[in-house]
Amino acid sequence: MRRPAARGWESAIAIGSPLLLLAAWEAASAVGLLRAQFFPRPTTIARHFGELLADGSLPRHAGTTLVRLAWAFLLAAVPGVAVGLAMGISRRVRDGLDPLFAVIYPIPSVLFLPLLSFVLKPADAALAVTGAITSFFLIAYTTMTGVQQIDRTVLEAATHFGARRGRLFIKVLLPGTLPFIFTGLRLGLGLALIVVIAVEMVSAQHGLGALLWLSWGLLKVEDMYAALAAIALLGGPLLWALALVRARLLPWLPDVADA
Amino acid sequence: MSLPKVVVKDVSVTFEGQGRPVMALDRISLEVGTGEFVCVVGPSGCGKSTLLRVVAGLVRQSAGDVHIAAARPGTPLTAMVFQEHALLPWRTVLDNVTFGLENRGVLRAPREARAKEMLALVGLTKFARHYPHQLSGGMKQRVGIARALANDPEVLLMDEPLAALDAQTRTIMQEEFLRIWADLGKTVLYVTHSIEEAILLGDRIALLTARPGRVKQIFPVNLGRPRGLEARASPDFGTLVEKIWAELRDEVVRASAEDAAPGDGV
Repeated sequence: MRRPAARGWESAIAIGSPLLLLAAWEAASAVGLLRAQFFPRPTTIARHFGELLADGSLPRHAGTTLVRLAWAFLLAAVPGVAVGLAMGISRRVRDGLDPLFAVIYPIPSVLFLPLLSFVLKPADAALAVTGAITSFFLIAYTTMTGVQQIDRTVLEAATHFGARRGRLFIKVLLPGTLPFIFTGLRLGLGLALIVVIAVEMVSAQHGLGALLWLSWGLLKVEDMYAALAAIALLGGPLLWALALVRARLLPWLPDVADA
Repeated sequence: MSLPKVVVKDVSVTFEGQGRPVMALDRISLEVGTGEFVCVVGPSGCGKSTLLRVVAGLVRQSAGDVHIAAARPGTPLTAMVFQEHALLPWRTVLDNVTFGLENRGVLRAPREARAKEMLALVGLTKFARHYPHQLSGGMKQRVGIARALANDPEVLLMDEPLAALDAQTRTIMQEEFLRIWADLGKTVLYVTHSIEEAILLGDRIALLTARPGRVKQIFPVNLGRPRGLEARASPDFGTLVEKIWAELRDEVVRASAEDAAPGDGV
């Protein structure tokens, strides 16, 4: 149990350190220590951010990215968890898929884009699938590990007390794997956002990645930073929401119960 | 001895070791009477735990028979208390205790009533809503005992349930468990590596040989009940410890000699 004073300090540091960094940046740009051409003042960026927000272009781009991210995450998470569970439970499935995954997983998923955009229409579908590929492997592997790390004696005890087949899956394997599934989802969500933004940069006309890249091309550096800030602001709440769902679903984890 | 509740007859268990089969139990025979408390001691690796798992139906024997007399239909034959408690971390204490009943289709109200009764018996009523990681080692093992008892089995199987606890907690738990056993009159098969624990708890003690395990000798414990601290201090207690240790010692030496030179003897 931490004392309230210690907690107060912690949140002061958590809020204070980024503010301090921004203040240092502001000062450095103001006195010309940083070239304003590449490092405009944070207050200038904030003004541009406000303008892009007001004229509706930033929300539109953010909305486009969010929809693509949602699809990419869904396409990674649902099959990823299912395949990961199957690989964790069945040795045969694991032996069958492992060599295949080992070959495909290390390929940077952006490289699939040309092929996928040829096969999949509309372009957004190809983009979502590209965003999903690497996350899928990550989520599948994490889920598989989650099944395998369940304590053998716990499984033995559960079987002994009558949990077989479907019951064993619902009441033991699934809850026992959930912490790992959430870790996989959290990492997978971050990765999907990274890939979606990267693909938008190389191929799209809309979305935050496209806004960033096009602004840079036109040397509208302030808009580029505004897009960057928007991406950061998009990712944070999503991960936070996922952490909230995890805490709600897994009240039995030591770090959740004692917080 | 009263009517046999458990009859283990010529049971052998062979595991597939690395490349060659390893015999864990070799034609072992043992009977446990109704309401009797039998302790099994032996050197580590002698197959004590395997014997319990065969009786529980968790390990299938390669040869021989296990018979458990079922007096009441609808209740499970065995319920095990595991060495590392093996509670489900995502279930509360109460939900761990109801687990077996839930799997047998007992409705919520009766199964929770039964679980609360068992938690009261082991002194954990206040901790029903806690999760296992919030409990001490001794408390977890009490939950393990309550979980097994909630199923009202014909035979209670205990696999070194107190081995992971510190000495003081273990002494308390031994006394508690004796009280519970006196209350419920269950048939118990109890594996331990401690001779003192076996004498304190058991009606009879089966001494197993080094692997492959067979029953080397059976020692009756002629101490009155209830047994408390004064039982430990009695001369009969000390004599029996020495008698059993004299036999067990040879097996421990044999077991460690085999560990040192694998490939011999098995």
